[in-house]
Amino acid sequence: MRAFAPGIYPRSEELVQATRDCERGRTSPKAVAEQVERDFQELVSVQRAADLSFLSDGMLGWQDLFRPLAEAVEGLDARPLTRFLDTNTFYRGVLVDGEPRLRNPLPPPDLPDREWIGTLPSPLAFARAARDEVSAEKLAANVLGPQVQAWMDAGAALIVLSEPFAAREGSADELLRGLAELPAAPLALQLPFGDAGSILPALAEASVSVIGIDFYATSLDALPSGFPKEILAGVVDARSSALEDPVEIARFVEELLAREPGAVYLTPNGDLQFVPEPIARQKLACLGHAAIELAEVA
Amino acid sequence: MSGVRFVTREIGSLAKPSWRVKAFAGRPLEEGDLAAAEEWGRRLEVKGHEALVEGLRGGSLNLPEIDDWAAIYAIRLLERVGLDVVYDGEQKRTEMYDHVAAFARGFEPRGTVRSFDNKYYAKAAVVEAPSVPGPQDVEEFEFVRAHTDRVVKVPLTGAYTMEDWSYDEHYGHEGGLGASAEHRFDARRRFVHDVAVNVIRPNVEGLVAAGAKWIQIDEPAATTKPDEVPLVVEGFNEATRGVEAKKSMHICFSDYSALWPAVMELEDCLELQLEFANRDSRELGTKDEDRPGYADTLALFKEHGYPGVGLGVLDIHSDFVEPAALVRDRILYAVEVLGDPDRIQVNPDCGLRTRSWDVVYEKLANMVQGTRLAEDALG
Repeated sequence: MRAFAPGIYPRSEELVQATRDCERGRTSPKAVAEQVERDFQELVSVQRAADLSFLSDGMLGWQDLFRPLAEAVEGLDARPLTRFLDTNTFYRGVLVDGEPRLRNPLPPPDLPDREWIGTLPSPLAFARAARDEVSAEKLAANVLGPQVQAWMDAGAALIVLSEPFAAREGSADELLRGLAELPAAPLALQLPFGDAGSILPALAEASVSVIGIDFYATSLDALPSGFPKEILAGVVDARSSALEDPVEIARFVEELLAREPGAVYLTPNGDLQFVPEPIARQKLACLGHAAIELAEVA
Repeated sequence: MSGVRFVTREIGSLAKPSWRVKAFAGRPLEEGDLAAAEEWGRRLEVKGHEALVEGLRGGSLNLPEIDDWAAIYAIRLLERVGLDVVYDGEQKRTEMYDHVAAFARGFEPRGTVRSFDNKYYAKAAVVEAPSVPGPQDVEEFEFVRAHTDRVVKVPLTGAYTMEDWSYDEHYGHEGGLGASAEHRFDARRRFVHDVAVNVIRPNVEGLVAAGAKWIQIDEPAATTKPDEVPLVVEGFNEATRGVEAKKSMHICFSDYSALWPAVMELEDCLELQLEFANRDSRELGTKDEDRPGYADTLALFKEHGYPGVGLGVLDIHSDFVEPAALVRDRILYAVEVLGDPDRIQVNPDCGLRTRSWDVVYEKLANMVQGTRLAEDALG
């Protein structure tokens, strides 16, 4: 049973303090960058200790799901603050002021070949952040596609496309059209913090091999038996400080496996940035324990 | 002379002076901090401010005394700009969430979470049914009451916001994985109820018994989960039902269309004080197209007939100082839409804690001046 944690990982208290100090002129951007590197190395250690199957860089340099990518694209810019779903966290929306085109792909993380995963916004999420002033298809073709290809060429094992809107909207048509514009590659579509039940049947046709489901918001009964995709099972709640019980997770996943999906991977149900870092690292450990528990049962 | 008279007031927080911040952080004061205490003391004509400056310089003041001075300075600032209704800029509170979570039993701090960019907030978890040993803010209110002759409005964090901004390790802890939506909603409802009844209400009752005439419940999280607005309403009603005082609710940076029709069930709520200026144009004018930040929300007030609107006329996230004429036009537009000036009172969008006192002074002074211009125009 494979387990990993895509998405934005929380900053350590040291990094929080460094960024605060930098804004108040008490430390330098260089000192912040050095702390980011220490956070990155620590995160890699934590993931290895948890025996996770793939490593993530935690997107520690990403202000939100869209910004670094939007800044790397000709024709896009940052907009005013916008609430991220039903959380107390905000992102900068995307301002469209021209034909979007990726100038230079974002660099890959410094992680071993085929041992790392990358996370990007899904085409639909990117379009929604831009208030639909540019289509999901165009963003997929001109921006996300080249970025996916660049990361695959640089050694990514899997790219996770984060899609927070479709499950809430209850429609997958536009999403499917956008996904169809992406290059053939190992792609997962993750649906964080939403009840995916109503769009799961449509996602059986998606041009990605893996679908990520938040099982804190989606009933297991909503997953059709024999679902033809592999499942990223969101079994660790990234919005709760309570620690999950690996045995309970394992029991749940056994029920999930009984529905015979393509395969199952364990993940949090969304970015771990919604809990403080010390809690996030315990949740990573829990994810690893649950995977081991399941392996022993098997 | 027109009979129209709009009430002007702040919403809650002001920035804390650097001498107050550093004293509480245990950092040494610099000359600039002392100069600021001296300058604002003179500018606001704070009686005895020389004693503050001397005390800060000599290190003879304890933290509660410094807190008192900060509150007095804030009260004087709000009086000086001409507000009708004041408080103390929440100088004695850490911030609106932590102020309550740190006082009530049942919450435990969990750490720091990013809000956006390099901005963060502290978050606690509820670990048992919350309660308080007694009313939290009576002493604070009595201090304000003793230091002003203006009308006093006490801002209190609402039960729903406390619930929404906390982790839940008590109410919904069991069976989270694969649990039904009903289970999750029920857990949140019980949490809101307990905060309203066992944390907020004792404070409200204590404040009113001590003479408070106006309680403002702050619910910035009100529309975070649009289908839970009825819980916001329940929390307000449970916390304030039957209390003999003016009651109002402040909400900001939210999707206001989600508030109706649920807010019609708010019991005896004088008004909704909302943020508008943040969404508005800075051009003058009183037509629909001139006031994009106001049109849609005021249309909801008009359609549903909600009794009162606290009209946010100052953008609290910008140093742009709204000219008095812009404030005037925002008010006149609201009067035009609602057709009744008695349903409108005037305030900033939200607390002004992110702005410097220089900017706050200019913004609020223009707000009052613009309000008088609107009254004149209506006359």
